[in-house]
Amino acid sequence: MVAARFARGSSGPGMGEAEQHASASSSVSAARLESVLDTAVDAILVINEKAQILVYNRACEKLFGYSPQETLGRNIRMIMPADYAGAHDGYMTNYMTTGHRKIIGIGREVRARHRDGTEFPVELSVGETETPEGRQFIGIIRDLRPRKEQERRVNELQADLVHMARVSAMDEMGAALAHELNQPLTAIMLYLQAASRSLARSPNGVPAAPDVFRQVLEKAVHEAERAGGIISRMRQFVEKRDPQRRAVDLNAVVEEAVELTLLGLRTNARMDRSFAAALPPAVVDPIQIQQIVVNLLRNAFEALRDRQDGIVRVSTSRQGDSFVVAVEDNGPGLPPGIVPTLFKAFSSSKRSGMGLGLSISRAIAQNHAGDLTVDPGGNGRGARFELRLPMIAVPEADEGDDVDTMPAATPPSSASGVDA
Amino acid sequence: MAVHIVEDDPGVSDSLLMFLQGMGLVAYTYPDAESFFEADPPQPDDTIIVDLLLPGISGAGVIRWLQELKEPPRVIAISAQSQSAIEKQIRGISGVEILRKPLSSELISQIV
Repeated sequence: MVAARFARGSSGPGMGEAEQHASASSSVSAARLESVLDTAVDAILVINEKAQILVYNRACEKLFGYSPQETLGRNIRMIMPADYAGAHDGYMTNYMTTGHRKIIGIGREVRARHRDGTEFPVELSVGETETPEGRQFIGIIRDLRPRKEQERRVNELQADLVHMARVSAMDEMGAALAHELNQPLTAIMLYLQAASRSLARSPNGVPAAPDVFRQVLEKAVHEAERAGGIISRMRQFVEKRDPQRRAVDLNAVVEEAVELTLLGLRTNARMDRSFAAALPPAVVDPIQIQQIVVNLLRNAFEALRDRQDGIVRVSTSRQGDSFVVAVEDNGPGLPPGIVPTLFKAFSSSKRSGMGLGLSISRAIAQNHAGDLTVDPGGNGRGARFELRLPMIAVPEADEGDDVDTMPAATPPSSASGVDA
Repeated sequence: MAVHIVEDDPGVSDSLLMFLQGMGLVAYTYPDAESFFEADPPQPDDTIIVDLLLPGISGAGVIRWLQELKEPPRVIAISAQSQSAIEKQIRGISGVEILRKPLSSELISQIV
């Protein structure tokens, strides 16, 4: 069975007529090669210039479901999904004539096809070698499904954690939000009561001053809308949904975060906004960025507790290829002792909360290829946090479009990268 | 007799005004304690409805000032906060009626 996985015949390596008088040492090395191939965890294939399979190791059998007898000598297309299979011969011809490498020595993520028709992601590395029988190409294929599954789990857990932090922030704001909702509810009740009373008192059932009556109802409607606005703002923030990046107006995202923070906070401190004009769109998950800004703002207001002249400044700007959202206060600054562990989980110096806010905020920033940094202030200066986000060109409508002409690629890996 | 409403939330303030006027009462509104102090002092038979959470001088500050008048008028404190937060704010003040928001109209019409 030594050569069972090798193609026989003139196109095969090793056992050709020319090597009939092969020395004992060459058969030893063939056996050794056979054993190496069969021990390998990755699927290993060798094809010739006609794309015929010459070597098909044991891992291939498991991965693709075909036996060596079914595959050796046949075109490599059989383990490719239809869309690659149709184009593969063309790629090979293109390479033979132009020598232009699209995959050899580079490696990439492609899809493969099992005997039962299942398509799955694999990582493919291709090498090339000259033999007396012409050029041969060696493919090493690794099943990406376990890694994809693991990535999916990690993404899911991260998304859960980030969501939990939002819910926790909303929980901390709960009492203030209830207060905020009580205001319009009180107004609605009084307006409607006033309207109803004016009807009851109208003589002979003739409504008095219909204009006033209508005005009161309109005011009640306005207050109901105000209550609805508070609820929808809260809901948008805490609702569990998949992370989603899109091109957004960063100023609007920051403003929404400011509104939400102020709703959930009773403070004497002043809020100062300074938004850069004409910023290009930012490609971010708006709710996650909002989450960072809400967290920073709440920390800033917390630092100004019990102060009469407190000011929280939020600004957006463009610095080189980055957006910068800065939040600073005129509080006492951060005690030097807490700065080293500031972004670590569970290192809260606050009385309430889990101490996850800043650690999760930084993780979100870094998942966006940005960062969250702090200037701790002190000596009369308050702390200043800076959220930096890279300026990314707004993606085309068709996200999966690869810039490379070779379609044997899944969308850029950044799209499937760790996201939370 | 008049009702003075010291309340910073425009919706609550305006609806209270309409409601009280609908009951045939004379009522005035003030967005904060400062503007209330600038107006003529209330008469002994007036009623003052004051929100505990005001910007600037607090509702408790207004209540203390009113109670130091020679003939203190009636004071009703309103608040949308939790009971514990309310108690913390009116600590040391007695003789104040407290209504929690959302206000029930029956309650207001009974009291006023």
